[in-house]
Amino acid sequence: MTPDLHEKMRLELIIESPALRRAEEILLEAKVTGWTVVPAVSGYNGKRRWSRGTDISASTDMMVLICVGDAEFLLPCLSRLHSLLKRHIGILDLTTVQVLRDTEF
Amino acid sequence: MLSTLLSPVVLFFALGVLAALLRSPMSVPQSFAKGLAIYLMMAIGLKGGVEMSQTALSGQVFAVFGVATILSFGLPFIAYFALRKTSGLSRIDAAATAGHYGSISIVTFVAAIEALKMAGLPTSGYLVAIAAIMETPAIITALWLALRGRKKDDSNTTQIDRGELGREILLNASVVVLIGGLIIGAIAGKDDFEKLAPFFTAPFQGVLCLFMLDMGLNAGRGLRRGWKSLGLSPILFGIYMPLIGASIAALFSAALSLPAGDMALLMVLTASASYIAVPAAMRLALPESNPSVYLTLSLGITFPFNIAIGIPLYIASASWIVGVMS
Repeated sequence: MTPDLHEKMRLELIIESPALRRAEEILLEAKVTGWTVVPAVSGYNGKRRWSRGTDISASTDMMVLICVGDAEFLLPCLSRLHSLLKRHIGILDLTTVQVLRDTEF
Repeated sequence: MLSTLLSPVVLFFALGVLAALLRSPMSVPQSFAKGLAIYLMMAIGLKGGVEMSQTALSGQVFAVFGVATILSFGLPFIAYFALRKTSGLSRIDAAATAGHYGSISIVTFVAAIEALKMAGLPTSGYLVAIAAIMETPAIITALWLALRGRKKDDSNTTQIDRGELGREILLNASVVVLIGGLIIGAIAGKDDFEKLAPFFTAPFQGVLCLFMLDMGLNAGRGLRRGWKSLGLSPILFGIYMPLIGASIAALFSAALSLPAGDMALLMVLTASASYIAVPAAMRLALPESNPSVYLTLSLGITFPFNIAIGIPLYIASASWIVGVMS
């Protein structure tokens, strides 16, 4: 028997590491209750390949922030995250997902 | 000069550059390289502190502190106007790059200390503190150059979190470890340092070789990626700007009658460009600036130039100036 699934939103933000803290502040102020950050290893930006660990200052390293939660908390963050991404390197996407345990979010 | 060029430190650096230019997949793990950098900074901080504990601080030392601060604040102005007049870089990119050239490269400083040891020229321990002092003022000048004239209500105006930026520029690893090591070394003194010598003295050269291999890889990758997009004028800037900085430092050093070793080290500090502390501060405060411009210039052009040509040149110049004056 398939357990009940619950609809949530998933926000994924790939952002340069110096700006990560600013993105997290925006989520905190919006009372988002949890997220996970993982390092981005490598990629291609349309012009050239980039990879982690090739800049000794680590200032150009990219991070991935994954946040699953209710739309009422995540959607209000979007305009401020958009402003942040006007100046910092990064991309953001939102998807509708289904989660197993509603109480975790 | 040839003996400096053929030292293992420089040869390992050249090996790293060559490997990167040949697209070798070799790499040194980032966290390991960071650990090596902290080790090197701890070692020179401690040694500098021990030396300082054995000598009294003279008026000359305080004068050098003042000169170093002025140089770090002032050099970005020269760099900025040179870049704006010759390179076609935007105001933001020119200011961010100028900040790198007012700050210092601690690895170049360490390599210069080793080269001076080989040349038999003694250096003073307090210059480690000078290195730490010169990390920061240039960042303030660069931000002023970039942000002057902007309207406060401009929606694109950089909104700087001063606490966040302050922590980055005043409490970055270089400043904390160098100043901390210096103080601990001064408190510990020669006798206590002897207990640490097997860790901080004997392996120092080998660790420096390992770190220079990684620096060579970084510099080579920067050079490979950036030189086509930069153009000739910024690349030339990466070579003539260190010479301008070193010449100004030589003038101040001569006026203060510094010994040849100290003069050469002050020239090296002034000629070197940051690629650790300043890029991080610029990504926070001036994210509109292009990191491939300043990282390629400081790490891909100026750093190799200083390691291969600059350091021997500054040592020879300082020896000649002091010889002429005495």
